[in-house]
Amino acid sequence: MAANTYRETVRERVLYNLVFFAILMTLSGLLLGQLSIRQDEKIVKDIGLASMDVFGSLIAIFIGVGLVSKEIERRSLYPLLAKPLGRGEFLLGKFAGLGFTLLVNIGLMAVGLFLTLLVTHRSADLHLLIAIYGIYLGLVLTVAIALFFSALASSSLLASVWTVCLVMAGRYSEVIRNMRQVTEVPPWLAQALYLALPNFRNFDVKDRVVYGQAVAGAELVTITLYALIYSGVLLGAASLAFRSRDLT
Amino acid sequence: MAPSPASAITISNLTKSYKAGFLNCQVRPVLVGLDLEVQRGEVFGYLGPNGSGKTTTLKILMGLVHADSGTASVLGSPLEKRDWRARIGYLPEHPYFYDYLTPGEYLDYVGRLFGLHASARRDRARDLLQRVGLSGVADVPLRRFSKGMTQRIGIAQALMNDPEVVFLDEPMSGLDPIGRRMVRDIILALKKQGKTIFFSTHILPDAETLCDRVALLRGGRLLKVGRLDEILSQEAPQVEVLVSGGCLDELPAGVQRQAIGERWRLEVAEAGLAQLLNAVTAGGARILSVQPIRQSLEDYFLEQMGLPPGGEGARGQGRWELQD
Repeated sequence: MAANTYRETVRERVLYNLVFFAILMTLSGLLLGQLSIRQDEKIVKDIGLASMDVFGSLIAIFIGVGLVSKEIERRSLYPLLAKPLGRGEFLLGKFAGLGFTLLVNIGLMAVGLFLTLLVTHRSADLHLLIAIYGIYLGLVLTVAIALFFSALASSSLLASVWTVCLVMAGRYSEVIRNMRQVTEVPPWLAQALYLALPNFRNFDVKDRVVYGQAVAGAELVTITLYALIYSGVLLGAASLAFRSRDLT
Repeated sequence: MAPSPASAITISNLTKSYKAGFLNCQVRPVLVGLDLEVQRGEVFGYLGPNGSGKTTTLKILMGLVHADSGTASVLGSPLEKRDWRARIGYLPEHPYFYDYLTPGEYLDYVGRLFGLHASARRDRARDLLQRVGLSGVADVPLRRFSKGMTQRIGIAQALMNDPEVVFLDEPMSGLDPIGRRMVRDIILALKKQGKTIFFSTHILPDAETLCDRVALLRGGRLLKVGRLDEILSQEAPQVEVLVSGGCLDELPAGVQRQAIGERWRLEVAEAGLAQLLNAVTAGGARILSVQPIRQSLEDYFLEQMGLPPGGEGARGQGRWELQD
């Protein structure tokens, strides 16, 4: 299932986003040096990392939702689920397959970023890999959210909307925690929401890496566990919901 | 109903309803207390008009839809267990397969799900593609396939694991006459190998040709189940007599007559045949043929649905449903 999902994403031309990334990197590498003084290296790194995050998130959300919703709408999973393949395995295979696609995608983008830095005689610091790893963990969690909603929702549109909402809320969870300062929201509710929502800020170490600040190994372990446990809970819930769903 | 060793499929008191209407307030029953048993090695036809619950039954058996109540087992195992799934094949209604794959790749993928080795997958896929007439397009992506070709690949994937029981939901749907003939031949070949075939259809001549037994479903309720000869012989047998010339003014009561050019077609209950023949002979008419009228499954089906066989009402209300 995972291998076939990877094959599907490749044949559906998901990796074509790399072309846009390559163009973006080439332009930023060639032009930014002339536009800014000393800051150009940081800007190239920022653009490269932000592009990985944006392109990866778009793939994780929209392809992730489509992987299950599309199969339900087109009924292509009917003959598969009649075979010795559980619904939980089906979801896990989709998760692993898209996770691998994103790994390949972000890996190729990383190669592109390092090449741009090297070719334009800028510092290709290997610490960038830490920021890229953080981005990848966020994408893995995004895929889990997309699969969770696509297992619940009756249409891919609904699943996409819910996924985008939760990912956005998770990316700006600090705002929710600080709501109590500007609204009448009870502090416990704001705190509970903050803790329950996926906190994508945990994975965002881009700025620290670009500015040369250290990221502790313990922090990397913590965010890895956070991504894995949160994704695991979501996939478990998705599996339970999907098992009880009638495929009419 | 406990499954017997000889039964391939056992369904007991199966009930399913769907929610419908505004805020899902209405409950629409789709299956009502269905009891059914299919023996191993049978070709079993599951018949009924559109919306009678055929596909829902198959979906429940395949684990795609959950029954509200009742039990079912396949090859002696309850549906909840998954061990039997490696021993069955399933073709859904209006199938759709990964269109970015070629038929060869799709069958290979299906073979992987069954844990077949690479060489077995390759050999089996080649044989099946040949059997369904797709070996010439083994490397063409499925997105370029017509409906009939997709149906053929659906039949091939259902047979990839050499199943003991094959579930086919409207297998003739979308097929041209050659394709239908091919499916009929495949079903007959499977029967010869001792496989059990459970197929739903509303194309009655196919069922009549292929099935050992049939079940008739209407509104989610089982109307009739049995062997075709049992079902069709339950009505009082009629005989058709074809005559020409002579005087037919004094025929016995209960004889229906119909002019066909210069000839007359006379229909009478078998018990009154001798009296009719005497009257025809006495009138000086020439007897051209005498043959029993065999009720077709379609006639029986229409009768059960409350529609006159071959009448305008049938054409207007229900007969169109019998055509694919």
